[in-house]
Amino acid sequence: MTGDAYFLRYLEILSAAALAHRMKFLPFFSLALFPASLVAQEPKPAEVFQINCSACHFVDQMVVGPSLVEIAGLYKNKPEDFVKWCIAPQHKREGAIEMPSMAHLGEDTLRSLHGYILKAAEGKTELKPADKPQLDEPGKSRPQVQRMFLPDASPAAIAVAMPGSLSYCFDASECRLRYVWKGGFIDAKKYWETNGSSLAKIDGDVIYREESRPIGSSNLGKPTLEFLGYRIEKDGLPTFLYRIDGTTVSETVRPLPDDAGISREFTLRSGSAFTVPSTSDAQLTSSTGSLRINPAATPTFTLTYRWK
Amino acid sequence: MIARFLLLLSLSGAVFGAPFDIASIPSPEGIDPQVGGMDVRPDGKIAVAFHRGEVMLLDPASQSWSRFAEGLHEPLGVLAESNDEILVMQRAELTRLRDTDSDGRTDIYQTVFDDFGMTGNYHEFAFGPAKGPDGALYISLNVASNGAGIRPEIRGEWSDLGELDFKGMQSDRGWNDRKGKAGRMYSRVPWRGWILRIDPKTGKAEPWASGFRSPDGIGFDSDGRLLVTDNQGDWRGTSPLYVVKKGGFYGHPASLAWEDGWSKGDPRKLPVAQLEKLRTGETARFPQGELANSPTQPVVIPDGWGPYSGQTLIGEMNQPRLVRFLPDEVNGFTQGTLVGMLENDNIGIGNHRLAFTADGSLWIGKTHLSWAGNEGLKRVSPTADIKDVFTVTAVNLQKRGSGHVFRVTFSQPLADGPQVTGSRFSYRYHEDYGSPEIDKATLTIASATVEPDGKQLLIETEAREGAIHRLDLSKLRSRDGRELDTAKLFYQATELP
Repeated sequence: MTGDAYFLRYLEILSAAALAHRMKFLPFFSLALFPASLVAQEPKPAEVFQINCSACHFVDQMVVGPSLVEIAGLYKNKPEDFVKWCIAPQHKREGAIEMPSMAHLGEDTLRSLHGYILKAAEGKTELKPADKPQLDEPGKSRPQVQRMFLPDASPAAIAVAMPGSLSYCFDASECRLRYVWKGGFIDAKKYWETNGSSLAKIDGDVIYREESRPIGSSNLGKPTLEFLGYRIEKDGLPTFLYRIDGTTVSETVRPLPDDAGISREFTLRSGSAFTVPSTSDAQLTSSTGSLRINPAATPTFTLTYRWK
Repeated sequence: MIARFLLLLSLSGAVFGAPFDIASIPSPEGIDPQVGGMDVRPDGKIAVAFHRGEVMLLDPASQSWSRFAEGLHEPLGVLAESNDEILVMQRAELTRLRDTDSDGRTDIYQTVFDDFGMTGNYHEFAFGPAKGPDGALYISLNVASNGAGIRPEIRGEWSDLGELDFKGMQSDRGWNDRKGKAGRMYSRVPWRGWILRIDPKTGKAEPWASGFRSPDGIGFDSDGRLLVTDNQGDWRGTSPLYVVKKGGFYGHPASLAWEDGWSKGDPRKLPVAQLEKLRTGETARFPQGELANSPTQPVVIPDGWGPYSGQTLIGEMNQPRLVRFLPDEVNGFTQGTLVGMLENDNIGIGNHRLAFTADGSLWIGKTHLSWAGNEGLKRVSPTADIKDVFTVTAVNLQKRGSGHVFRVTFSQPLADGPQVTGSRFSYRYHEDYGSPEIDKATLTIASATVEPDGKQLLIETEAREGAIHRLDLSKLRSRDGRELDTAKLFYQATELP
């Protein structure tokens, strides 16, 4: 929808009073601008509507809240129900914002608002939602990195689509890979198109989960973690950079041929020797020949996870 | 209807040249064109961050777009440090986008600062950064909304200060029955509702000020004051503007839980009188429905904008205008006047981010998310006629005898016989969402006299401490017959001289 069309619609719901006020130097013309039914009304409900309602309720289109056309349909012969709702609104529509209570307006004003809304909606019909431009969907081109609210991760999650059919979730708060899935990428439509309260859906089947970080010393206690960001490699895949107890780590995840698993190339700038724990979901091998890794001897190594 | 409206306007008096030329800019293809952040690079390209995480570069001359970065999480602020480095505030962190091989694309997404909490609540937005005269970066963090609870996994320390515990705060089927106990907006992880000051080199942060709710607008004025706008809601009878100073508390109590050494329990339960004592008063307030419902970014108007140059301009989401702030100092406190701008120019609503290119053009980036607003960009270019605009450039409240005068300064000499009307009102400071107008009264104008220079008007009246004073100057004309650009002033008298 163009900005002008939007503005036009907005202007239409600006109350008669507000416009009449702007044009008070030409009062006799203002009558020509509005249906007689609106002008003949006392200006008060129009003003009340402009101040308290107009930002969220348009005449013929759902924006933040339902249109006046829809409200008029719902409450046509039910002014008392309308007043009750305005005093104690509830959360009714998924993804929509709950209306704040309008109790401060008082029941009489709310009743007059009911009449105003019925009149404003008279003869109008709900507009179909405007055609949205065609958007690039996530995963349209791979590889791709998209930060997003994801299931089974902290709110600082990052989704990565690798070439082929594998994707994974990296958690920037935990500084570790959380899980890998096979299929499509993510469906974040609901997050993006409603109020952001939805997690994106994983478009595929999770085939691998990791409960703990495979690298670093196995000292008990919570390590100090620092997420440093990521670098995009020439092939478009990210290398994650983070610090565990002062040791700087880089990690690049790549798919194996035929998506039979993943390889993870690590570089540790320091740190003491550790043993990579085995996993039940995948067969695990190390480029060093042993799952006992000593970063002082081999700072760069690759762990290969082949799906069982 | 618009055509008739414009026709009527054109019949209304002497015709002067339009001070602005306004154009819509085509959005990039395939991208949801809701603008979260915008800044101009040294090479003149405009870096624009969009809702789904892209940062695109707009060449203002050719109006062509190229992609600089992607995959960010709800970016809501952009600061271009150089042609190769752009700072972006996204949900989880402040990030430096670095194009190290100068191919026009980001190759390093460097985390500058992420040491703040996230519960996964949708309302935990992050805004900024604004660069201060001290070279430091300032960000502002939204509190969470009880429109939803929290997620099972959170980032950062959990605060036990609240009626509901960690389990009770989870978003589940029973949330709607419990949410009243959460507080309308809540801060259960660090620095929600705070302004933080960040060293751009080390990424070390210093908690700067608390008491914010939804501080979408953060910026510095031409005198180096840190300005922050906030949104009407709980503890916000109407949307406020604050000059923010270190250590200040600006009214929304939830964030107090993270005050160093806080020992007063759930801040939401403190008596209002006690919060009143703690809080710094508003610098200005935007009357809801009348001036602005959802103010956004403050920016400084550059040279080339005639009498507006050097003033602070603020965006507005819900009404088709922008807002100017005219500061005044009373008893050492900065307060002042809010006045509409570009009101009759069809700029539309959703005016979220503002930036100026070197040619003096203002670029307005629009958004709505799940609220009222719009999409895409508009460009507002001043014309040669801007130098002749008839506008208010300053309002100062002064003591006169037992009462006060508003000394209003104009860009053009006034015609004789000025007529002024006015009223005053306020809003409640309380936990309820919003507020009706209270303490309404007509201002008795004892006199309105023009100073000998013709450009200053003294309005003699009785000002009221704490009130918004609405001055209606619509009857004023300049000596050459011009009407004011906008005629309604809203002066916040937090202090009385």
